[in-house]
Amino acid sequence: MRRIFWIKSVFLLFFCSLIIRLFYWQVVRAEFLQSQAENQYFTNTKIDAARGDILFSDGFILASSNPAFSLYGLPKVIAPDERQKISYSLAKILSGLEEDPEIDTLAKDLITKLSQNLFWVQLKKIISTEQKKQIEDLNLSGIGFEQRSTRFYPEGSSSAHLLGFLGSDAKGASKGYFGVEGYYDGELRGMSGLIRNERDALGLPILIGNFFENEAKNGKDLMLNVDRSIQFIIERELKLGMESYGAKAGSVVVMDPKTGGILAVAAFPSYDPVKYFDYPREYYKNPVVADQYEPGSTFKVLVMAAGVNEDVVEPDTRCDKCSGPISIGGFTIRTWNNKYYPDTSLKDVIIHSDNTGMVFTAQKLGIDKFYSYIENFGFGEPSDIDLQDESSPDIRPKNSWKEIDLATASFGQGIAVTPIQMVRAVAAIANGGNLMEPHVVKEIRDERGSFRVEPKVVRQVLKDSTAQMIKEMMVAAVEEGEARVFRPKGFRIAGKTGTAQIPVAGHYDSTKTIASFVGFAPADDPKFVMLVRYDEPSSSIFGSETAAPTFFNIAKQLFIYYKIAPSE
Amino acid sequence: MTIIKKFEPEEIKKGFSKKYISAVVAGFFILMLAEIWASNSVVAYGEKLEKLSSITKTLSLENQILENEIARQVSLNRVASKSGELGFSQAESIQYIR
Repeated sequence: MRRIFWIKSVFLLFFCSLIIRLFYWQVVRAEFLQSQAENQYFTNTKIDAARGDILFSDGFILASSNPAFSLYGLPKVIAPDERQKISYSLAKILSGLEEDPEIDTLAKDLITKLSQNLFWVQLKKIISTEQKKQIEDLNLSGIGFEQRSTRFYPEGSSSAHLLGFLGSDAKGASKGYFGVEGYYDGELRGMSGLIRNERDALGLPILIGNFFENEAKNGKDLMLNVDRSIQFIIERELKLGMESYGAKAGSVVVMDPKTGGILAVAAFPSYDPVKYFDYPREYYKNPVVADQYEPGSTFKVLVMAAGVNEDVVEPDTRCDKCSGPISIGGFTIRTWNNKYYPDTSLKDVIIHSDNTGMVFTAQKLGIDKFYSYIENFGFGEPSDIDLQDESSPDIRPKNSWKEIDLATASFGQGIAVTPIQMVRAVAAIANGGNLMEPHVVKEIRDERGSFRVEPKVVRQVLKDSTAQMIKEMMVAAVEEGEARVFRPKGFRIAGKTGTAQIPVAGHYDSTKTIASFVGFAPADDPKFVMLVRYDEPSSSIFGSETAAPTFFNIAKQLFIYYKIAPSE
Repeated sequence: MTIIKKFEPEEIKKGFSKKYISAVVAGFFILMLAEIWASNSVVAYGEKLEKLSSITKTLSLENQILENEIARQVSLNRVASKSGELGFSQAESIQYIR
């Protein structure tokens, strides 16, 4: 009896422990086991979002995505005696050469990677589809591909400063830097999606199984105001000008004065946005929006506009201080060529680019009104152009200005501006007095539709009558000024040359200048306003002999492009 | 001998009849067979779907590559270079006719 009792007890204990164990696994650990099981038959597939395209105003591609692949290896799958053969086969394809010492170096690097005690190792971050096909044809075991994409620029390194480039952030994800790629990175990037579905033992989807999908949202496409042909023209002419005039740097910006749409931007030295890492970091920033410079005589048209708008001067007003140099606060203001025109009209002051006449005008205006027009024209604040790297030099506070500051600012020295600020201010003269907000992007498009960026008038700076008067003075400056020999005949172009000395260690270096020309055409119905600027041209320091010819060369081609016939 | 059947009232049958239950069970059995048949039929389509997805992906990539190649061929740098090779040059002077 006792034996039966003990046998029964043993069996009872056994079944109790079984029940407890089953309870533990089926109730207590149920969720954990279920998730583990789901991991085995559920797969998550990430759907990458395509980065949006950037298009010219005519719909041609400026930047788009190019399919590419990353190459990986599975060291634990590849037999040790196969590593060398596989590595050399891959090295030949990746280097694109049959025999080269570089193949050995590349192959050794691949062998090292494949010898690591890892399940998965990246062999090459980006390979082309042609290289992928060649590697696939080799049928190598333990080698695979992951789909990626790279940025593709069909126009090569054109528009590099406008575009910016696509790099990586700290986590290795793609991110746009500088220019349009940086400013609109959020819109261009899109959002990746996810598919979660049940798969069988062979990894094939089970159609009647569970299926969850989070759709990917591709990045939005951007259509720019930038005109492909104008961009090509200015880049070609700027490059020629850099070589002809021996300048250290140069830039051109073209804008539609009526809408603020940026038609073209070019700057040298430039870089290749695909291989941006091969260039110095200083090249990345766009000098048109990020560089400050003293505008020199190009600023005179704005000062004159302020004086005429305030009715303190007129184009026919006579300057009674222009018979010789002017002394102010211990400094002497001279003209650029030491020529003086007693009792000259202010129209001739602009034609001759007479510094003394500008001092006269500024003194008529006074510091308060002069300063308010500097602010009204948009200086001292960013233009809000849609490019990432814009900066704006500060204007010294009005209460720190002395008479000499007023005098020098009247001819564009002692005040710092950016090229985009300058061209925007002159555009106000071209369009009848409105300061426009500059915009690179015209339209943002996605699957659901498009959003148009409308032109924005920031404020009215001048009366229309003032703008017309200043325009005529600028036309006279082109037709009768120092740059008249270079102008295209028969066209009315409004413009002004500028030759600003560069401040070096507290004083101005007379041998180093910023040579510039700003203007718009056709004067009576402007299609474009443009600023050409050269830094330290060596062939001649004057804007009339460097920037002005480049401006006119570009303008001639734009007249043909816009089918504008001579008016005279 | 006359056998008189004892008169007994008919008993009211409670619950479902055997025929009804058999019909339901048979119905479920048929549905089960139908589901098994349908699952078996569909199971092979997983591979087809995978192949079609792969083809769609490949075609989409090829489409993108071709679009980019077209963009490269019509780029102004290429057009300018090709036109130079073909003997085109920039106009030296333009005559306007009114």
